[in-house]
Amino acid sequence: MTALAAPTPVVHRAVRDVLPVVLAYAPFGLALGATLAATHLPAWVAWASSPLMFGGAAQLLAVQMLDAGAAGVFVVLGALVVNARLLLYSAALAPHTAAWPTRWRWLAAYFMADPVYALAITRFAGTDTDSPRERLRYYVTVGLVMWPAWMGLTGAGVLLGGVLPTSLRLDLAAPLTFLLLLLPMLTSRPAYAAAVTGGTVAVAASGLPLGLGLLAGAAAGIAVGGWLGGRHV
Amino acid sequence: MYELLVLAVIGLGTYAMRAAFLVMAHRSPPAPVARLLPYVGPAVLAAIVVPAFVAPHGTIALAETAPALLAAAAAWLAWRRLKRNLPIALFGGLAVWWIASWGISAAGGLGLGPS
Repeated sequence: MTALAAPTPVVHRAVRDVLPVVLAYAPFGLALGATLAATHLPAWVAWASSPLMFGGAAQLLAVQMLDAGAAGVFVVLGALVVNARLLLYSAALAPHTAAWPTRWRWLAAYFMADPVYALAITRFAGTDTDSPRERLRYYVTVGLVMWPAWMGLTGAGVLLGGVLPTSLRLDLAAPLTFLLLLLPMLTSRPAYAAAVTGGTVAVAASGLPLGLGLLAGAAAGIAVGGWLGGRHV
Repeated sequence: MYELLVLAVIGLGTYAMRAAFLVMAHRSPPAPVARLLPYVGPAVLAAIVVPAFVAPHGTIALAETAPALLAAAAAWLAWRRLKRNLPIALFGGLAVWWIASWGISAAGGLGLGPS
């Protein structure tokens, strides 16, 4: 073991961390692709949401709303509300990325999907030994694996949409995937409280339109986490 | 192509939100904000996840909710016990969900429970 205790190159670490996530994302990506293909939109247009948005939750909402004939303004509004969490991710990552060159931060922004954020923040918050350069390498490696994987999985789902048996139900794949991103973040009592509050309020507010229940839950959870965290420090 | 245009507008708006703090922030956020940031991930992901398990199709119904919650518990347990192995936890959770959904609909067909 001691011979192996030398620091693993950060790129290898990133690949080791992201590959299981890709595998775990497979059912969600395939199911989303099949859902995209089942709309009346041209398949390539529906799939184009993958490179344009790089985020399954908003892709699902936008394409389903378009399929149902919703006005473009409401589709944009709904998808942006669902994606407003990325604003929070951006703020949470910023202190760790401040030393990166600007053009790399523009690229990092494009890669900032839930799994990339979850892996990066878990790594950045958990280790103080990584230099900014190593953090950048970790982040970009995760993005460079996750991005083509998501394009391929959703693309395969589009192509296989008519072939997959309807008895193979995958609709719980998305929440299970997000649950497994959440679990490593539950590292303290305030973090648990933030999650419990966020989930409870989101359920109570789930009747709100345009995914506003999600934002209500997020706001309440963040407030409770910050309040408890502040008390204990 | 109208739909493509709508998707592109969403993509641009989404990218702007992603870049907002990452690219624009030139100094660390004020202390009251910095204190809240660690709770962004747990709160947001729980707000996505919990309603999807409790009310899979928008309403709480035993036949839908019970298998989904069982699947979540199974995935959580597998993740904790098996060295945080994501694929096993995910596919284990899906398997539990399939079995529980099948069991409940079979029981419903026999008149033993809610269908």
